[in-house]
Amino acid sequence: MAGRVNGACARRENICAENRNSRRNGEAPIPNERELAAETAEQLNLKDPGVVLSLLEADQVVAAKRQSRFGPRELSVGIRILLWGLRIYVVVMLVLVAISVFRAVGAAH
Amino acid sequence: MDMPIKPPHVSAYRHAHPTTEPAAGSAAAGELVGQLTHEDVDRARDRWQVARARLKERSSRLFGGFGVLWLLIGPGVLVFLGENDAPSMLSYSATGARFGIGFFVPFVILTFLVGFVVQEMTVRLGAVTHRGHAELIFDRFGRFWGFFAMSDLVLGNFLTLVTEFIGVRAGLGFFGIRPDIAVGGSLLIVLAAIATGRYWTWERITMGLAIFNGLFVPAALLAHPDWHAVGHALLTWTPLPTGSHYDILVLILADVGATVTPWMLFFQQSAVVDKGMQPRDIKAGRFDTMLGVILASAFAIAAILATTPLFHHGISAGDFQGAQFAEALEPWIGHIGASLFALGIFEAGIVAAITISTSSAYAFGEVLQTGHSLNRPIREAWPFYLTLLGSASTAAALVLIPRFPLEFVVLTVNVIAVLAMPPALAFLLLLVNDREVMGEYVNGTWANIAGVAVTILLVIAGIGFGLATVFPKWLGG
Repeated sequence: MAGRVNGACARRENICAENRNSRRNGEAPIPNERELAAETAEQLNLKDPGVVLSLLEADQVVAAKRQSRFGPRELSVGIRILLWGLRIYVVVMLVLVAISVFRAVGAAH
Repeated sequence: MDMPIKPPHVSAYRHAHPTTEPAAGSAAAGELVGQLTHEDVDRARDRWQVARARLKERSSRLFGGFGVLWLLIGPGVLVFLGENDAPSMLSYSATGARFGIGFFVPFVILTFLVGFVVQEMTVRLGAVTHRGHAELIFDRFGRFWGFFAMSDLVLGNFLTLVTEFIGVRAGLGFFGIRPDIAVGGSLLIVLAAIATGRYWTWERITMGLAIFNGLFVPAALLAHPDWHAVGHALLTWTPLPTGSHYDILVLILADVGATVTPWMLFFQQSAVVDKGMQPRDIKAGRFDTMLGVILASAFAIAAILATTPLFHHGISAGDFQGAQFAEALEPWIGHIGASLFALGIFEAGIVAAITISTSSAYAFGEVLQTGHSLNRPIREAWPFYLTLLGSASTAAALVLIPRFPLEFVVLTVNVIAVLAMPPALAFLLLLVNDREVMGEYVNGTWANIAGVAVTILLVIAGIGFGLATVFPKWLGG
């Protein structure tokens, strides 16, 4: 790990205590030693890929996102009806908007 | 470090919800080392700044917390000040000129609160999945539904972009600036904002421009509003608007369309991803979104108050565009007030032109699976930048065409935004309740009740508009 690490271990106890509270609220993950070291470094050496990976979540790296995508979900009958209903609604409404605007423009001229 | 990434290759569909473990500790860490991009490095730098600010927060709770918030605000403020765009500010101005101080003052605040409920969900989606809205819709619902969602976005965004340049032209027209210079200069500002090749710089430049949305506040103060009437309206929602029910309904739809629109969902989620926000930042993301709501609703109400002299003096503002409002207001708020108003319309147009064209570019990049980050240099993500500049340039060019039906576009844009919102909200609610995507961050009961209620209300408002259009005599239209 490049970069000077300053006081990571001394602060670790506080950080972990805070994360325990945050996790209870469903918010923060626990940083590991490597991540802590990168985050608390006084100077940052981003030429070291290890430092970059320590600061990002696994799912945040562009290459990782490309290789692992969310698969299609099962669309129940209810969801299909909802999506089709809303789609028809939008198309009908767009036609009505066109009618009202042509009327308004026609009236203005 | 800036090695090109591998061609798109999906090695596995993931059905488990995303992991929040650091990339360095993941099983694929060794493989990822050789595939890091400029985007990853810039994002890591931003994360480091946030981590450092968090350390300071622990040592100084009072000022340290401010440092973290300063780093993490952006997408929420930009989305709401971006949505206070030229047609929106003209809608608020028309509201003030037509109905004065009354029902619409608290109503506008309500619409912004609705906006908060909806936009908060995009913060969670972006921070947890690290994927944009378009990408998630395509992944989870397939190409068929994905293209439908995109068609709504593309149509709405493009028409809105045209109206932004109408605002730019009208705002600067007040100062005698020729339309080609006004529109061309604005395009250069859009170009300058993205030329930095860094999300952080782009965000700060755009936020710096967006804060000038506050120009409507001094313009409102110069109109000497009746504060007693403002307080009364906020408490009682009266006086109610009177006149043609059809016109009132269209204005209600336009004001709703001025605060909740599909581009906002796509933009904020993608911006949260581009900013590199993580689940631990969700609280700050909520603060950012609420800050945007407070600023934007204050500026929107200022626009209503600024134009109330037209209501009190019985001046019809039905066909006014930006500069005409400023000219009409000059006798009551002075040349300085009118200039501030015109500059406000210009600012609203230029900031929205930046954010909306970026929203289109994010969505296209996500769907085409090409680079889609403001942290990418142009050579790595040229389709992204081409979409951004191409959509802005085409919209700008249309505004300069003689006899182009600008009136048609302005009338249509906010209403289309409202009508396209229910399907967008349905996708949003389905995604944010998808445990395979969100894990423990799925919506709570109250967020779902609010989301479903907003969707139903928008559908009812749309159906009311439809009936009023087909049977105009029903509502006195």
